[in-house]
Amino acid sequence: MSRRYDSRTTIFSPEGRLYQVEYAMEAIGNAGSAIGILAKDGVVLVGEKKVTSKLLQTSTSTEKMYKIDDHVACAVAGIMSDANILINTARVQAQRYTFAYQEPMPVEQLVQSLCDTKQGYTQYGGLRPFGVSFLFAGWDKNYGFQLYMSDPSGNYGGWKAAAIGANNQAAQSILKQDYKDEISREEAIQLALKVLSKTMDSTSLTSDKLELAEVFLMPSGNVKYQVCSADSLNKLLAKFGVAQPSTEA
Amino acid sequence: MEVLLGITTSTSTIVVASKAAMRGATILKTSDDKTIILNPHTLMAFSGEAGDTLNFSEYIAANTALYSMRNDAHLSPSATASFIREELARSLRSRKPYNVNLLLGGVDPISKEPGLWWLDYLASSARVPYAAHGYAQYYCLSILDKHHHPSISEDRGLEILRMCTDELQRRLPIDFKGMTVKIVGQEGIREIPWDMSRPIMAA
Amino acid sequence: MARYDRAITVFSPDGHLFQVEYALEAVRKGNAAVGVRGTDTIVLGVEKKSTAKLQDSRSVRKIVNLDQHIALACAGLKADARVLINRARIECQSHRLTVEDPVTVEYITRYIAGLQQKYTQSGGVRPFGLSTLIIGFDPYTGAPSLYQTDPSGTFSAWKANATGRNSNSIREFLEKNYKETSGQETVKLAIRALLEVVESGGKNIEIAVMTRGDGLRQLEEAEIDAIVAEIEAEKAAAEAAKKAPPKET
Repeated sequence: MSRRYDSRTTIFSPEGRLYQVEYAMEAIGNAGSAIGILAKDGVVLVGEKKVTSKLLQTSTSTEKMYKIDDHVACAVAGIMSDANILINTARVQAQRYTFAYQEPMPVEQLVQSLCDTKQGYTQYGGLRPFGVSFLFAGWDKNYGFQLYMSDPSGNYGGWKAAAIGANNQAAQSILKQDYKDEISREEAIQLALKVLSKTMDSTSLTSDKLELAEVFLMPSGNVKYQVCSADSLNKLLAKFGVAQPSTEA
Repeated sequence: MEVLLGITTSTSTIVVASKAAMRGATILKTSDDKTIILNPHTLMAFSGEAGDTLNFSEYIAANTALYSMRNDAHLSPSATASFIREELARSLRSRKPYNVNLLLGGVDPISKEPGLWWLDYLASSARVPYAAHGYAQYYCLSILDKHHHPSISEDRGLEILRMCTDELQRRLPIDFKGMTVKIVGQEGIREIPWDMSRPIMAA
Repeated sequence: MARYDRAITVFSPDGHLFQVEYALEAVRKGNAAVGVRGTDTIVLGVEKKSTAKLQDSRSVRKIVNLDQHIALACAGLKADARVLINRARIECQSHRLTVEDPVTVEYITRYIAGLQQKYTQSGGVRPFGLSTLIIGFDPYTGAPSLYQTDPSGTFSAWKANATGRNSNSIREFLEKNYKETSGQETVKLAIRALLEVVESGGKNIEIAVMTRGDGLRQLEEAEIDAIVAEIEAEKAAAEAAKKAPPKET
């Protein structure tokens, strides 16, 4: 049935659905997950790295987190090659805005411009949609800290806590249960790690399977994007007791 | 002989523009408004080539309005100044550049800080405490220099401006038919009357 | 059939444009939206999929301004809407710039409908999966108006209308109950119409009210709740009145 309507992205199925977009979302369901949590003093992003082979040289830079501008970073789930293109356009957009207005681009505008690109690929030409979901974490002077989630359809929304990638529904429901307003950055990290420890396939969390990044304000008032080192990540995992599978179980 | 003046006070920015619309030595109109409101906290005054000024200003106004509509947030005065500067720089390198000189006055909606920018048709842009365009520069900058201080009150700002307009009346060889005076304050933009009926004798 | 619903620019032998019809299907799946025209007030209402607890309600507004005096609500694909709204907003300012006057409601409706039509007749694109309700007071005559556009690019003027999920039952309700109203009565009528298909309560409804001269105002959740309570009280009173007479006889 669906075959007739899924060979080109640009057409509706008789039920008014866009299969290609739905399939793209499906693809992301298998990707390494990422969680974003908004805290009162910052935004936390945690991502699951898929280590496919022991021989793979794990890159020294991050593979799920990308800085877009001084005040915005994102976490990715989905097809990395697609993501690279979008991240690049986002970085260009951010610089273009700074060039025109001599001030950082408001976070929502940056997200919107990226999502407009995504939307375009679901409507024009014989193109396929981008197979990526993003979590954007950022700060601007209008709305302070913000967290946005976007999917292949070009939809986006502002969230207090959100999950993308594998098991995102399970993660989202834990977040819904355990998230409290006005939590601190440290509590947010604890919550994110807790969620991942429950939704990830692997039994124990280790620093080589995870990435943690934070966006927060420094005392000077500048926005800081900081990626947590493996050492401090291990310390955090031990501190919150999610490093090992619990002994009682 | 168009007059544009601007001055910042501790809480507001005051922008002044002459009311005469001239062509050569002829006065065509005595109620010309050389200012345009860009958003609730930003005001632009313009002088230069007759057609260019209005055309350029309306283009800028339409774009700032579009920004407000699209983003549910107004552009800050400093961002507006950068945007205008870029447009002027682009125009300067085109086949027929706009001949427009501008003063941009505003109050930042978040920091509440008053600001004033001086821009000219060569796409210079400078943030300044007080400013003038045209002949007014020769007569007023010295007065502003002597009396202005960042912490002055709005009333003091108006007093200093009175000294400036008196001096212009005294020195300029032609009548510029009064002044439009607009204040960008913490609660928005308002116009105040500016009486220039008192005769001022040249020294 | 299969042949004629793939390329959208062609008719099927029996005269259908399948892609346009399927796009309408996407609209029927979208949130319900209603518009009611009063003498001095025009009201737009949309059904809000109960926003997830963790979602930031600021980023999911469905009723937006196109210009100071024009507002739009829509049903269908949200990402498509953003693109269409953006184009319309540009046209509003561009119109002001070229002719020094604000657009009329009809003009901007015609523009949006024209844009939607283009996407049903050009190659390599799919239609917008959108139906819009556009309201505003005529800047010259002050007359209130309400227009609707659909994916085919058709537009029409209405006293009251609905689109999106279950729009038929809302329209039936409006046909039965429409009266020339003003002020708060118009707001009430719009909410009553929406309540036909939406669970009651301010958190499931988004209402924006435009009054002559004052522009658009989004109602707070509490305000909507108060009106809903009022409507329910009236309903209960009417029920009671209906039941009462037989008892007396």
